[in-house]
This record gives sequence, C-alpha cells and structure tokens, in this order.
Amino acid sequence: MNELVQINNLTKIYEKEKLALDHMNLTIPRGRIIGLLGPNGSGKTTLIKLISGLLVATEGEVLVNGSRPGPETKAAVSYLPERTYFQGGMQVKELIAYFTDFYKDFRPERAKQMLANLNIDENARLKTLSKGTKEKVQLIMVMSRDAQLYILDEPIAGVDPAARDYILKTIISNYNENATVLISTHLISDIEKILDEVVFIRNGRVILQDTVENIRERRGKSVDSYFREVFAC
Amino acid sequence: MLGKLLKHEWKAVWKVPTLLIGILMLIAVLSGLTFALPIWDSEWIGLPLSGIMMFVMFYLAMFAVGIGIMIYFAVRYYKNMYTDEGYLTHTLPVSARQLLLNKVITMSAWNLIGGAAVVVSVIIFGGVTFLSLMAKDSTFARGFVEEIAQLPRVMRAIWNEPYLRGINGFCASVVFLLLTSSFSGTMMIIGAVNLGQMVRKHRILGAVGAYFVINFCYADALYRYYHAADAGADKQCL
Repeated sequence: MNELVQINNLTKIYEKEKLALDHMNLTIPRGRIIGLLGPNGSGKTTLIKLISGLLVATEGEVLVNGSRPGPETKAAVSYLPERTYFQGGMQVKELIAYFTDFYKDFRPERAKQMLANLNIDENARLKTLSKGTKEKVQLIMVMSRDAQLYILDEPIAGVDPAARDYILKTIISNYNENATVLISTHLISDIEKILDEVVFIRNGRVILQDTVENIRERRGKSVDSYFREVFAC
Repeated sequence: MLGKLLKHEWKAVWKVPTLLIGILMLIAVLSGLTFALPIWDSEWIGLPLSGIMMFVMFYLAMFAVGIGIMIYFAVRYYKNMYTDEGYLTHTLPVSARQLLLNKVITMSAWNLIGGAAVVVSVIIFGGVTFLSLMAKDSTFARGFVEEIAQLPRVMRAIWNEPYLRGINGFCASVVFLLLTSSFSGTMMIIGAVNLGQMVRKHRILGAVGAYFVINFCYADALYRYYHAADAGADKQCL
C-alpha cells in the first residue's frame, strides 16, 4: 500500500454555513515532500486539522494508514501548527521528557543535538525565548520523531531567512525516506527546491496534484510562477 | 497512556495549589499565635483589632483556598483544551476519554486535598491556640481537659433529643456529600467550561455564566431533595 493518506469526498462546513472543504478527493503517497499550496481561505489549514484529528468532517472521510483519525493515527503523524502552542512555563528539557513519554518514535538524542546546534539552552523556559526561537524548538520537537507523516503548517513564516535555511535543512535531513512531509506555505520560492510534489487547492477543492519536475518540464515555469499564474487575482 | 497523562498533569499543577495550602497553614499558625501575645489586654483598640483581623484573614483564607484551586484548574482546563495549547493536547496519541479522565481525576484529587487542608488548618489553629493559651495561663489546660471530658456525655444527651431523630442519616448524607462534592465540583467546572464554548464570541463569560446556572440548578435540586426528606420525617413523627 503506497498511499499514506486517502481522502474521500471530504467536506467541512463551519458554522454559518461556511464551506471550507468541498467534496475533496486526494491521495498522499509515501516517501514524498509535498507542498500544499493555495491562497488564504482555500482550506489548507482545515485539511491539515482534519488529517491530524483536530476537526471532525461534516461529510466524507480521511484515512491515515487505512484508519480514521484517532490515537493510532496520531501516533504516526507529527504535526507542527502555525502557532506557538507549548505551555510557556515548561522548560525545553521538560518538553523533551514529555515527547519521549508520549511518542514511541521520538528520538531525544536527536532533539538535544539539534538544540545544541542552535545554541538553545535545554534549561530555558519557553516563555523566556523569542518567538523565532520558540518556533525553532517546536520544529525540532516535531522533526525529532520518526513519524510516518509530518504535517508542517507555515513552518518558515515567522523566522528570518537564515533560520529558514536551517529549517529546510532540518526537514530534509531528519525525515526518513518512507515518510511523507506535507508542507503548507505561502513562501513557495523558499521551499520549492525541496519539494517533490505540489497540491494546489482553491475553494476547498484540489485543482492540481503534480510533481515539481512535471510542472517545470511541461509548463516551463517554476512552481512559484505557475502558482502566481493559476491564482492571479 | 492514562498513567503518563496523570504523571505529567500532576507534575505541572502541584505547585500552585500547594502554595495556596501553604499560605493557609501559615495564616492558621499565625492566627493561633496571636493568643500568646499581650495584645488582648491593651487599652489601645488597634492591638486587639489587629488580632481580630488575623482571624478574619484566616476565615477568608479557608474559602480562598477552595475558590483559588477551583479557578486555577478551570483556567488550566480551558487553556489546555480550547486555546493554542490544545494543539498539543489533542494531537497526543490518546483517546478523548483518557484526556477527560485525566483532568477529572487530577481536579477531583486536588479539590479533596483542598477540603482536607481546610480541616487540617482548623485543627492546627485549635492546637496552636491551645498551646498559646497554655503558655499564658497554665490553669487553662486543666480546665480545658475537664471540659473536653464532659463532651461525650453532652453529645449523647443532644443526640437522644426527640426532635433530632433521623439525624444519623442526615449526618451520613452530609459526609457523603462532602466526599462526593470534590468530584461533582470538578464535573460542574468542566461542564461549565465546555458549555461556555457554545457562546462563540464570549467563551470565558459563557463559562462563568454556565457555572452559575449549573450551581443554581444543583442547589435548587438539593433544596428540593432535603425539603422532601424533611417532610417525610415530619410525617413519620406524626
């Protein structure tokens, strides 16, 4: 079974009849780095939250490894939200202990190595760290797992260009080759070089799923240029 | 996984309620010690008044501990479940039942500890007061022991009064209520915070409102129950 995530007829309607996902169908294979791209309000974060088990679908289904979202799929998915979400009073080393306890696939030595590379003190409390450093700690925690699916929602939005390079390097060097990384971002030109595939979403529907190579060869454009053309206002 | 949740929850929460209980115990000791001070015979009203203020503070602290623990856990529950912290809480590989059970067990245990701490603080206050009075006047201890020796006889006499028939059942239900209130109090807080989320734009205000509504309904049901039990007892007497 090469497909890691299977999305069938997925619909999400929020209150006041706001349609976020509209009968979406999508297959996410294993061993790929996939860009989930679309304008604001296209349904990217809703899709991510449904795969992570944070939201319940109005209609249709999400299957991760053939199972509906639950404790079993959460053990296989490593999710980085777009917001800072750890408790400010926690020390970085407490966070490592927390992840070690709950996730069998968490590798504390890898996390410690990455923290040392970035000169982040394990004894520091999260509330004393800058926003950028907090985001780096979050990414380190998420990428220190040997998960099957990494879902990164805007992983480079709030950090400086130098940190962006480190984050992208971290993503490439830490995910295992049977795992898939799903990255949602607006900063396409920054991540284009690491992507294998892209999924374009508009109004809660998938309008394109193709490899980066195909886009470059057939359309003669970079993903960034093609995105601008497709989603031109 | 429930064990791991409980371990991390306990580790994260123990400091605040322990600090509150520590402050209560300190106030209990200081209040008892005021009896050893020569302030009660002072002609200047300020000194005995400061002693009385200490008792008032102790009295208020007993309520503050319970309310403080309740507010602390309500805020923590809300933050863990419904704010950005929920991204971590709800992506852990545990079931929703385990998440809820973890909160219920921890909150109920601390409610119970808080209630027990109030009882212990009263005992500490009594003990320190006794020692303080004894330090001032050694004859006090002898008189006190004599009075205490009379207590079982007096209690028996009161218990056998006809108008107190059925009080055993009442007392048992009060003890049962006190023990279960730590659990029911927790469920009321969790219920109120959850119901408050339905008020989309004012979730916290919604939770506070829901708490008062639930409390009112609970108090009303209790009143009706005891009223009915009382009427039944009256019928039996007739």
